[in-house]
Amino acid sequence: MTALFGTPDIAIGMKENVSRLRLFDGPLDLSWRHCATTSDFIADLFALRFQSSRNDYMEVRHSIGYLVNELIENAVKFRAPGEIVIEASMDSECFKLKVSNDVDGENASEFQSLLADITVGDPKDLLIQRIEANAANPDVARSGLGLLTLMSDYGARLAWIFSSADERDRICLETYASIPISQTHN
Amino acid sequence: MEIKTDDYRVWIEGSNIFFDGAMRLASSEAGAPVMALANSILASNPSTITLDLKDLHFLNSSGINLLAKFTIEVRKHPDVRLVVRGTPDIPWQSKSLPNLKKLHPALVLLMN
Repeated sequence: MTALFGTPDIAIGMKENVSRLRLFDGPLDLSWRHCATTSDFIADLFALRFQSSRNDYMEVRHSIGYLVNELIENAVKFRAPGEIVIEASMDSECFKLKVSNDVDGENASEFQSLLADITVGDPKDLLIQRIEANAANPDVARSGLGLLTLMSDYGARLAWIFSSADERDRICLETYASIPISQTHN
Repeated sequence: MEIKTDDYRVWIEGSNIFFDGAMRLASSEAGAPVMALANSILASNPSTITLDLKDLHFLNSSGINLLAKFTIEVRKHPDVRLVVRGTPDIPWQSKSLPNLKKLHPALVLLMN
């Protein structure tokens, strides 16, 4: 059964005008270094149109880079072996991202339990509460602090769709994100 | 004392801790050497500890969590003043550093 967490309306509308990057597992030997390289590349690519204002460019490039980096880090950390597909688009109001990768059943179940906790309530309050909880109990493998930072500090709207498990207990996880992009300086 | 990688450098001058570069920690374990360095300053019980972040261009969420954990540690020592120096020119700092003040209201956040 498919499961959805987060903001349902952003989990659609990624079909047109999308730039797509596919990171193959085997030949690339996907590792932590790929997160920075890939997110910097996407941030450079999408921020170019803001080059006429240094402040806008810096702000947009950073926000896109931060969002993409966090979500690719999660994909690299928690995926089952296999590729990671990154799709991105931007209009005058927001930058949208979709990251797809496989996870195993146990990982999906742990992540769903975390999402149930961090998607209900004010992200700013939840972030502080979870920082305190994480400092008191540092052994928790998955804190959700990265996702809460995106929601709290970057105004990101996030959604996750888990497919049903296949015969190998593999689940396709699609992570959707949208952050506001506004031109503030002239 | 200094921690140096291809991407970032952390070092101590007196009770000031300087950060430079782009820090993308894979986990809290990856930040353990930096935490140990910061805790070694705290253990000497100085009147003020300053975290100088003005040249830290990027910090991922594991790194931000490390700063938050250290802030909570310092909070347990009311006689130690914590100063955080940042700059509004680096977007992650203006977005995320105010959270440290929520954790420890006595923290002095200097953004200039």
